[in-house]
Amino acid sequence: MGKEGTPQITKRTTRSSSSTADSSNAIATKTVNAPRPPSIISDLTFGEEPMSLDALLSSFPGRRLQVLELLQLIGPLNSPMFPLFIYGGASTGKSSVVLQVFKHLNRPFVYSSCRTCYSPRILFESMLNQLLLHRRNAGNGYSSMKRCERPADFVNFLREALTDVVNNLKEPIKKASSKELLKPGHGRMIYLIFDHLELIQEWDKSSGIILLLFNLFDILKMSEVGLIFISNVSPDAYYSNTGHVEPIPVYFPDYTEDNLCQIFMRNQANPKLFSSFLDVVLRPFCRMTRRVDELSAAFPLLFKKYCEPLSDLGLAPTEDMKRKLFSHLQPHIAPSLNEIFRVQYESRVDVKAKEKVRRKGNIRKLGIEDALDEIDFHMSISAKYLLISAFLASRNPATLDAALFDSMGGSDNRKRKRKASQTSMEKKENTENELLMRGPGTFPLERLLAIFQCLTSVGEGSLEEGQREDGGVMAEDGDVGLMSDVLLQLSTLCNANFIMKGGTCPLEGSTRYRSTVSEEMALKVARSLRFPLSKYLYRR
Amino acid sequence: MAPSAIPDSPSPPTVSDNEENNLQQFFVLHKALPRKSSRKVSGPGKTRRKIDLSPASPKSEGKSGANHVEEEDDCYYEQLRVEAFNAVWSEIETKIKDVLREINISAFDEVHRWVCECFSTIKSSGTPEAVRPYPLVTDINCKQIFTALVLTKNIEFVDDLLTFEELGLHLKSKGCHVANLSSLDFSAKNGIGGCLRSLLRQLVMVSLDAPDIAVLASWYSEQENYNNPSVVIIGDMERCSGSVLAEFILMLREWVVKIPIILVMGVATTIDAPRNLLPSNALKHLCPFKFSLGSPYERMDAIVEAVLLKTCFGFNVGHKVVFFLRNYFQRQDGTVTSFIKAFKIACAKHFSTEPLSFLCRDLLNDDSEGFWSEKCALLPEVMLKNAFSFPSCQRCKMTEGTSENLASGLFELKKLQKNWSSVVLCLHEVGKFQKMHLLDIVCEALDPATYNKNASDNHLGIGNGFSKSSPSDCCLHAGQYSGKSKGGIISQVVRRVRDLPVALLSQLLNIWRKHTKGISEIHDKVKELQSMLKFEDNGKSLKQDSKDTPKRPSSRGTMNMEDKKTVNEKSATLMEYMIVNYLQPIECIPFHEIICFKNVELLQSALIGDPRRTVQVDLLKSHNFLQCSCCSRSGNVLLPSMHDTSIMYTLAQEHGDLINLHDWFQSFKEILLGPSTKGKHKMKQSPLSKKRKDRDEPHDISEASIQARFCRAVTELQITGLLRMPSKRRPDYVQRVAFGL
Amino acid sequence: MEGDNPAQRAIALLRRRLCNPNYIFSLLSDSPDSNYSKLKFIISNSVTETCNNSILLLGPRGCGKIAVLELVLKDLQVEHPDMISVVRLNGLLHSDDTCALKEIARQLCLEHQLLFSKMASSDDNAQFMIAMLRECGLAHKTIIIVLDEFDLFTQGKQRLLYSLLDAMQSVTSQAVVIGVSCRLDADQLLEKRVRSRFSHRKLLFLPPSNRDVQRLLEDILLLPTDSKFPNDYVTEFNARLHNILGDQQFIEILTTLSNTDPSVNYLLRFIFQAVCYMDLETGFLSLENFKNAISSIQRQPKIESLQDCSVLELYILVCMRRQEVKEQTSYNFNSVMKEYKSIHDSFQTSDYYAHNVCLRAFEHLLQRELICFTDNRVHSQSVEFRPVKLLISAQELHQGLKLNCSCPVILQKLMDRES
Repeated sequence: MGKEGTPQITKRTTRSSSSTADSSNAIATKTVNAPRPPSIISDLTFGEEPMSLDALLSSFPGRRLQVLELLQLIGPLNSPMFPLFIYGGASTGKSSVVLQVFKHLNRPFVYSSCRTCYSPRILFESMLNQLLLHRRNAGNGYSSMKRCERPADFVNFLREALTDVVNNLKEPIKKASSKELLKPGHGRMIYLIFDHLELIQEWDKSSGIILLLFNLFDILKMSEVGLIFISNVSPDAYYSNTGHVEPIPVYFPDYTEDNLCQIFMRNQANPKLFSSFLDVVLRPFCRMTRRVDELSAAFPLLFKKYCEPLSDLGLAPTEDMKRKLFSHLQPHIAPSLNEIFRVQYESRVDVKAKEKVRRKGNIRKLGIEDALDEIDFHMSISAKYLLISAFLASRNPATLDAALFDSMGGSDNRKRKRKASQTSMEKKENTENELLMRGPGTFPLERLLAIFQCLTSVGEGSLEEGQREDGGVMAEDGDVGLMSDVLLQLSTLCNANFIMKGGTCPLEGSTRYRSTVSEEMALKVARSLRFPLSKYLYRR
Repeated sequence: MAPSAIPDSPSPPTVSDNEENNLQQFFVLHKALPRKSSRKVSGPGKTRRKIDLSPASPKSEGKSGANHVEEEDDCYYEQLRVEAFNAVWSEIETKIKDVLREINISAFDEVHRWVCECFSTIKSSGTPEAVRPYPLVTDINCKQIFTALVLTKNIEFVDDLLTFEELGLHLKSKGCHVANLSSLDFSAKNGIGGCLRSLLRQLVMVSLDAPDIAVLASWYSEQENYNNPSVVIIGDMERCSGSVLAEFILMLREWVVKIPIILVMGVATTIDAPRNLLPSNALKHLCPFKFSLGSPYERMDAIVEAVLLKTCFGFNVGHKVVFFLRNYFQRQDGTVTSFIKAFKIACAKHFSTEPLSFLCRDLLNDDSEGFWSEKCALLPEVMLKNAFSFPSCQRCKMTEGTSENLASGLFELKKLQKNWSSVVLCLHEVGKFQKMHLLDIVCEALDPATYNKNASDNHLGIGNGFSKSSPSDCCLHAGQYSGKSKGGIISQVVRRVRDLPVALLSQLLNIWRKHTKGISEIHDKVKELQSMLKFEDNGKSLKQDSKDTPKRPSSRGTMNMEDKKTVNEKSATLMEYMIVNYLQPIECIPFHEIICFKNVELLQSALIGDPRRTVQVDLLKSHNFLQCSCCSRSGNVLLPSMHDTSIMYTLAQEHGDLINLHDWFQSFKEILLGPSTKGKHKMKQSPLSKKRKDRDEPHDISEASIQARFCRAVTELQITGLLRMPSKRRPDYVQRVAFGL
Repeated sequence: MEGDNPAQRAIALLRRRLCNPNYIFSLLSDSPDSNYSKLKFIISNSVTETCNNSILLLGPRGCGKIAVLELVLKDLQVEHPDMISVVRLNGLLHSDDTCALKEIARQLCLEHQLLFSKMASSDDNAQFMIAMLRECGLAHKTIIIVLDEFDLFTQGKQRLLYSLLDAMQSVTSQAVVIGVSCRLDADQLLEKRVRSRFSHRKLLFLPPSNRDVQRLLEDILLLPTDSKFPNDYVTEFNARLHNILGDQQFIEILTTLSNTDPSVNYLLRFIFQAVCYMDLETGFLSLENFKNAISSIQRQPKIESLQDCSVLELYILVCMRRQEVKEQTSYNFNSVMKEYKSIHDSFQTSDYYAHNVCLRAFEHLLQRELICFTDNRVHSQSVEFRPVKLLISAQELHQGLKLNCSCPVILQKLMDRES
């Protein structure tokens, strides 16, 4: 979406008024160009004008209740609070609501997300760095203020840091500049926000850190500290056998369809037009997913399509125009419903290619041209054969290899098929389920190579005919060549994720492989070799 | 081996790749690859060595009995040859480099333009304070990460390693911050920390023990870094561990806009490879764009055109060699790298074996007949004799071996070569219309068999008589010709010319005109054809202008149909004419041996090392390598003095693919202990070597030491991938895994 | 801002009360047979009589073990100035011995103005601790060592406990070890050699009785009459509060509350929420506040996230449910897709989506923790093939489908049919 001007819609993902944006930018640029001396107020609050309650509420359509509840729970100035636990699905505006609430309250807080801080140590250190107003830069070699790995050390450091932050907050004389003195009401509380809490569970199965964080309030015993946890998963996911003091839960439900409509409608260039667009699009998409970020990734292209017939985007669409636009858009909705990853084209060549695809009449996949019949990347012939034989090896039962590859396994194969079809119904079903469960089967290297040899010996015939007259050298070079460094080809295929390798230690030789190639891919390859794959494929 | 191997051998990636997913089964064979390739590359090195301690080529060996003068000027010529090789090869190499760069540069520029666009887009959404740890809450345009998916169109990534490095340099030169990550940084073992670490090392130039992306943020917010995009290039996306890559993307997502990182990923297979690799929650944060590099075939054609056709480097390869190269490219590994390597080997071998090859160098720069004559005058008798003893010039009976003849022959050779290449270029022009690969055309064009057939058909001497056959009467021969090798590419080309639409035809003729500058005769003909075409166009336009009754269009249609036909026919005839008369494969030209390398077996053995087989073979006759006096004259009998591993392996031959460890050990033991007596009087003959001293007194080889050596040997065999350790079920048996031999 | 509006000040006051455990439990601990007095008696004895001692404070979470202990310690420190030095450890932080010894050393140093070296090895620290114990014993100074989350100290070798208790065997030393745990079998976790050195004195902390709760509520929520609050406001406030406390509905709320979790902490959080919800305009607590509080403190996450599910996700859930009904021992995404297709074929549903879209929905369900993989081998295979299971019961699914407004009828039918 880079070229054709950024989408009007992704804007909506962060729901916040543009006015604040400007002011923040202004300040941001200032700070970037000349970093201020660290002072608690400027570093731990949004350094900006606190936004009004109305602005806050209006910037979060469908989140009014949650915002108000948060404000109530956090409470007025200098009022202590129990830890909060904010949870709800992905992209329901948890983080941004909390942050904006603090922008509104304009109180000092410390935020750290367990996504960015992917290990306990980094989490601890980033917390401490913020509390100690430590800025990493070339001067200090980008090192953090304190080296701290153990929870015990963390708690000690944290206590120290918090106490003197709180003290600084208490006596306003200490405050950096008179300007901040005038600005009242930072309060005496300091809030610690932990985002993406659910990730901590993956760090260590012994959920020590989680328990620590949940009990932090009781461990610190500092009433000036407010804890806020933000998590994607519900509280009962954090169950631990000795239990912990449950924080107060606040739930963010997913957006309803109307909320989404409001969200996407916010500062839209041409509301009328866009609303008519949403009327068409939103409902079908909402049946699939109601996540803002996914929708906002899908809509811009569609909207462009929608606008294509229009001459100027300024005017409000009349009824019949709506109808026209709808009929224009109709064919594109289903494909974009069924596509989660749109690749856009940059270089002219590809654009042309795309045009070709279009003309072929499958607009089914917006932009992705895998409908073309041949594989569009280079693979050496031996690699292709190896791919096919791997595919066969993991599709066919090992017992059939002998039958299939004896001389020219066509007829025998068919016999097998009949037998298979005679087997009783429920047995068949079991095998099917089993297949579904197991997926492509695994096979040892030897089997793969055996099949490979058979295939090449068969395939050479079709391969060579062009070059027979060119004397013995080539003919013989065919086999030798294909057989020689087949194992390199194997590694190549492994690297390309066409073949997966079992984890076991190769020196025992018990490594087993599994081909993860889709059937159509394999067929494509076979076609490019003029190899009768289907004849060798054992169908249950 | 030769350090010269390292830069252009594919070993670094493969080896490291092994380190990454620890010891694959084909570990050893992978290790064998660099050895093999270095063997290839150190071809020149080897030859140089040979040259230094002369007798290299059989001929010089033959003369080595002769007097000193020849001896030393022989050395002198060896020297010349080395120089010639260096000169020629450096020429070729630079040429190739330029060509490849040419191919990539456009794609690079595209990428760069795109990067700039993305960066401006990001910047347009405001410049937030990057150091704050919390994600943006202010209003921004795009929360997605711009990602370029660069299709390398080749499942082998060897070529593209270099490509992506160059891309990195290119972007750097344009002032971006660039970090070149590889799949090793995204291994599941090191996790996200690993990739962050190397990212920081490359961008921030610090290495922390707890790498943290916040560092990157604060680095970026510093004055000097602030206004440039930072690009992260991941050369081989498929090989990354999906989970780690996803984590990385999600992490970037939190810092989106604060750190305007733009991803560039190399995709070896299909465009939806990322979809298979990444979970949807990471995928939805990417805003992918698609680019594509030249396919290996395009590169190959470009190289072939540059090296074999466009300029005469004075080094050339015979039909079989080209054919082999083509097959190798198509079947083994379709990497340009290996092609170049093979070509280099060929070159080296040629210069090392062919005594007269030092003349090539002069072919490279100067061509005036006079120059040649004086050059050849300097040649000693022997050389001349060699020259005229070439089969090629015996074929066309050049009796008196004077230097003048040689000179003229060489001059002729070069001229013919020029003609040939220009014709091939013409062919290729047509071939382009139906996506033929130049390599195939060259293959067929080089085939002496076809040519000789035609030659014999329309009784044309080789040296004389282009004049004799005018295009008019040649066409029937040509007809025969195209009849001769049905399905041959060239005949396809001719057929294609016949039914070519006018527009294409005219542009084709234009290009031909360019190509055939060298051959005056053809040049004129092409001109003529063009004029015909022009005239006809005018005629047609006239017809269009003249308003006429709606009955006649059919006739008119047929009419210009047929005169169009005539032009096509004519051009086709011309084509055939060119083919018959000018498409003279180098191997049919006298003295071609001087510049042409034909020995395909040499190349084959060098390239298709079949390491697994070689390992086994070498094991079976180890003393060919460690030429110790002790076991030199032992035929197949095993001596205790041999290397343990080879003894073991030879013993293993007797067993089936299951080897009972105990029996094996026993036989091994008695090999060691058995021939003590033989050992005795062997020691009398040969000066005693410490090694064998303890061998022949059986009693001072303790049981323990034998077992130790046994175990070591077994492990070595296991590590070479020839053995498989005992399984749980049958603890006393090892299994042989020997295939391919 | 502060002080202008009595309601705000009231809230601030109440919140301060609620968040200060000492205040809360001082309310509970005045009666002579309360844990407070027992504990105080024991410790003060061992202080005055200069003997070693060890106690376990057991009881479910949030019944104020630590709080009461703190109260006791505070009072004792007042009564016997500089005869007591307290060392506090927490099982969550110091469960491994070296760390614990280090921490003990650190706190002792802090207490006695010695300087503490981070570099000291754990042996040094152990030596130091024992030395300190002896010194303090000679100085007739009691070291009170509080081990919170006592059960966590019993994991592993229990070297710390052993060395502590062993040091206390000697007459010279004078220390009290207080273990605090919410596991009632904490003393069973001790090794034999440790247990033999441990005096089995236990104090059991129980959740408050209803009477206590009533008292507690009043003490917490009633505003003080003798304060800077306007008088009429206070009276009004308290009057309304009394009404609420007397109200039958409120009693029911309390019972439901104590049925889920009778502990004081839970109660406090409940009250806290109620107080937070207090309307600032009227400035008085209302029954509504408490109702909201109970509803928001007792959540049903599964049902909630079921209501968030999109239609497609519901389809997948139902398919999985059907798989389970069919006694499929184990099933994975592919088999679910098969089911999905069969449903589509038989009923011609409007929403039949491509494979990758379904996969995305599937991943959403995983994130919502409505389903999970049954194997934990992560890199074994691609997601499609890993066996999965539902994390919700059929009833929950039923309820969820009913509550979910966007749920298509066909799914309900399917569920009803199979049940």
